[in-house]
Amino acid sequence: MKKMNQWLTVLIFVFLYIPMAVLIVASFNTGKDITQFEGFTFSQYAELFRDEDLLNLLGNSVLIALLSTAISVAFGTLAAVGIHSMKAKMRNVVMNLTNIPMTNPDIVTGVSLSLLFVFVGSGLLGQRESLNFGTLLIAHVTFGLPYVILNVMPKLQQMNPALTDAAMDLGCTPVQAFFKVIIHEIMPGIVAGGIMAFTMSLDDFVISYFVTGSDFVTLPVEIYTYTKKPIHPKVYAMFTLLFALIFILVLAMNLMQIRGEKKRKSDKVDSKGVMIARRVVAAILAVAIAVGCGFLIFGNRREKITLNVKNWGMNMADGTDDTLDLIAAFEEKYPDIDVKMSYYESNEALFSQLSNGGITVDVIIPSDYMIDRMIKENMLLELNYDNIPNFSKVDEQFRNPAFDPENKYTVPYTWGTVGILYNSKYVSEEDVTGWELLWNEKYAGKILMIDNSRDAFGIAQYLLGYDVNTTDKAELQACADKLSQQRPLVQQYVMDQIYSIMENEEAYIAPYYAGDCMIMMENNPDLKFYLPQEQGFNLFTDAMCIPTCCKEKDAAEKFINFLCEPEIAGANMDYICYATPIGEAKEHMEEYLAESEIIYPEEEVLESGTAYAYLSEEISRYVENLYQEATKISASGSQEEESEGSGAVVVALAVMAVAAVLLMMPKKKKPIK
Amino acid sequence: MKRNKSVFLSVPYMVWMVIFTLIPLGVVGYYALTDPDTGVFTFDNIKNLSMYLPVLGQSVAYSLVSALICLLLGYPVAYYIAHRQPLTQKILYMLVMLPMCMSFLLRTLAWVGLLQDTGIINNLLGSLGLARVQLIRTPGAVILGMVYNYLPYMILPLYATLVKIDNRLIEAAEDLGCTPLQTFARVVLPLSVPGILSGITMVFVPAVSTFYISQKLGGTDTVLIGDLIERLFKQGDNPNLGAALSLMLMLLVFICTGIMNRFGGDEEGGVIV
Repeated sequence: MKKMNQWLTVLIFVFLYIPMAVLIVASFNTGKDITQFEGFTFSQYAELFRDEDLLNLLGNSVLIALLSTAISVAFGTLAAVGIHSMKAKMRNVVMNLTNIPMTNPDIVTGVSLSLLFVFVGSGLLGQRESLNFGTLLIAHVTFGLPYVILNVMPKLQQMNPALTDAAMDLGCTPVQAFFKVIIHEIMPGIVAGGIMAFTMSLDDFVISYFVTGSDFVTLPVEIYTYTKKPIHPKVYAMFTLLFALIFILVLAMNLMQIRGEKKRKSDKVDSKGVMIARRVVAAILAVAIAVGCGFLIFGNRREKITLNVKNWGMNMADGTDDTLDLIAAFEEKYPDIDVKMSYYESNEALFSQLSNGGITVDVIIPSDYMIDRMIKENMLLELNYDNIPNFSKVDEQFRNPAFDPENKYTVPYTWGTVGILYNSKYVSEEDVTGWELLWNEKYAGKILMIDNSRDAFGIAQYLLGYDVNTTDKAELQACADKLSQQRPLVQQYVMDQIYSIMENEEAYIAPYYAGDCMIMMENNPDLKFYLPQEQGFNLFTDAMCIPTCCKEKDAAEKFINFLCEPEIAGANMDYICYATPIGEAKEHMEEYLAESEIIYPEEEVLESGTAYAYLSEEISRYVENLYQEATKISASGSQEEESEGSGAVVVALAVMAVAAVLLMMPKKKKPIK
Repeated sequence: MKRNKSVFLSVPYMVWMVIFTLIPLGVVGYYALTDPDTGVFTFDNIKNLSMYLPVLGQSVAYSLVSALICLLLGYPVAYYIAHRQPLTQKILYMLVMLPMCMSFLLRTLAWVGLLQDTGIINNLLGSLGLARVQLIRTPGAVILGMVYNYLPYMILPLYATLVKIDNRLIEAAEDLGCTPLQTFARVVLPLSVPGILSGITMVFVPAVSTFYISQKLGGTDTVLIGDLIERLFKQGDNPNLGAALSLMLMLLVFICTGIMNRFGGDEEGGVIV
């Protein structure tokens, strides 16, 4: 029995540490893929220390953790003392309140706080940036407080109440009694609660994800966007270093504690070490608060202008793979501007982020139909083309596009097609006949589908022979049915995660944008691109615009102008492999790209492509809901149940609410003592 | 006398908690009951929830199974740790806690690397000449992800209750003729019920609301309620429906933990981590 226990424990520890081992090994890998070890190197660590952004993010995480812990500890300790002196009934009520953030799922806490901040900030106060550093701090303090209180309360209960009385009898004021007597008694609880609040804050992703604005992002939130793209191994290097650091810290803390205990046994007097440790803790907290206040006061008064650019993932040259680091080049040219990139996965996600509000964004690069929608919903600012002289370099055919007929809001960035990428090693050529390839049962489980409603519906519409801009609800329903038919065959719904999946041959078939397909084909020569000409395909344009939540319009226009410089645009296309609307740029890019028929198909091919147009808000939402039902919810008949069950749900929810309140109420029990 | 004065120390805290925990829940309720376009009061979002019930059921099923597996795996481990020398206990405790301090996103991503069809395990099987197996994108993979991520939340409270059990009770049971199994069933197990309950709650709550684990390790038919909420807020542009779903999830969790607390008897069992 004991032996078995021992072995099981060993196995569980192996289980807990295997993924960490995988990540640590990956940090020494020369290759980018986590599953294949190609050779040993330290270069990922060098890359890490060259990456200021990543280190800044880490700094941000530590800063917010220190600040929120300091506030939670101060607030929480006082509150605990107060709660301790309450009558039992009142105490129960307050403790129930304390338990809410502990019991509530993180996602609900995050959602509720973000709704509150946006509702009050943007809705009632008319603030532009209602999600910001302050709101993030509030959120962290809110979930940190209960940890402090729940750790301090038991220590207060254990404390002998006569101690306070004795201190006061000896002439202490209540405040003195608190600092001279009580605080020493409850110190272990304060420290334990503080450490918990700190670690929870440092590693919090879910709540931060919902309340983060554009001015201050923490590491876990950024890691989430990293994991949506091919991830750079330097992130693993950072993981390894953090792991080592925390390991050493925790070990040191434990050893100190053990030594302290031994000492306490030998000489009963409070050892000097403990005093010093307390002072150190106090000093760290003081510094944290000072730094935090300094940041709040001076951080916002930086000389540099911050330009917030929101872009698709992998859609701007960043210096990897010997390309130009475009942001660095821009910042070199305009030293007073600091560019901050953030990313969105799809046009719909961008729209959702902007319309939810609360953030500042200066430049966005959405696609045609979304631009049309944003113009109609007054979400874009008119550009001052005097500040964008390079607009003259844009080819005639890309000016005054259908989505911006007077060309007041946009400067085109890229254009391209959506086709099918397939692996010729596994997919036989005779099957590659059109969009139906994505419904071919032979390849069940090896098909990827694009994860946004518009492109997914577009593919179904081309396949079924409908107009891609149809507003006919019956036709849209038929598309949804087609998509839900496809679902059992689909391995995953993906956007930029597609890279590693297709390159590693985890899947064989996927619809995606031609430029990205080109990059994947360079990395895996078995991959081929196919454009279903007969059925039709999407021809898209992505253009740069300035949303109404912009703060730095001049800098934004400088940035847009910079991206239109032919050399810059050419170098950029070397990285993203999309087609450029700036003819001159072709002279400044790799020849094989400029001449590629995948990127620049012939005129007659392009004729069978169609552009998406904006339909209406109602249809957009209708399509989005259909898409969600078809691809995310179990397919089995939801439609009929809806009408019957809907009333019942309202009742059921009301009953649940009552039950929840009743259960949360304190139990009737014998009063303690 | 002085007692009443120090009560006021908790006033700022209470104000804070009301503003930042109670009122936000009210705002969620407000969003859940209004139309996304017009802002007019409506029951539509709530009515639409019926469509999402299967997803909710699936989330509950997965997280209950995960909590149960965590209990079965975690109990022996906690028991083992609780019966070591104090120094060993400290080190093992630390080793259980350590993974919780590291990014769970990256650790889950490592599982993708391990489990995928072209992943580490399958490559190993392949090089041994064995058949590759479908590991990822199965319900099992999602449950594995949950168990992996939340197992420490089970072990720590279990350990905390097990270590408090007075050894003399066990000795007494043995002296009185109990077999080890009987000692366990009649003495240790009943005394550790508070730890079990708080462990189950602490695994169940994050598991039922997760959205990353199922996105990465699940397939197209293992969508969970957290995935939908995240999608509605971040991509679907329908925070009102998202709020309704959040409300439902919250009520479900409160009811579950409420029932657990009732079972638990003493509130003192709740060990926090």
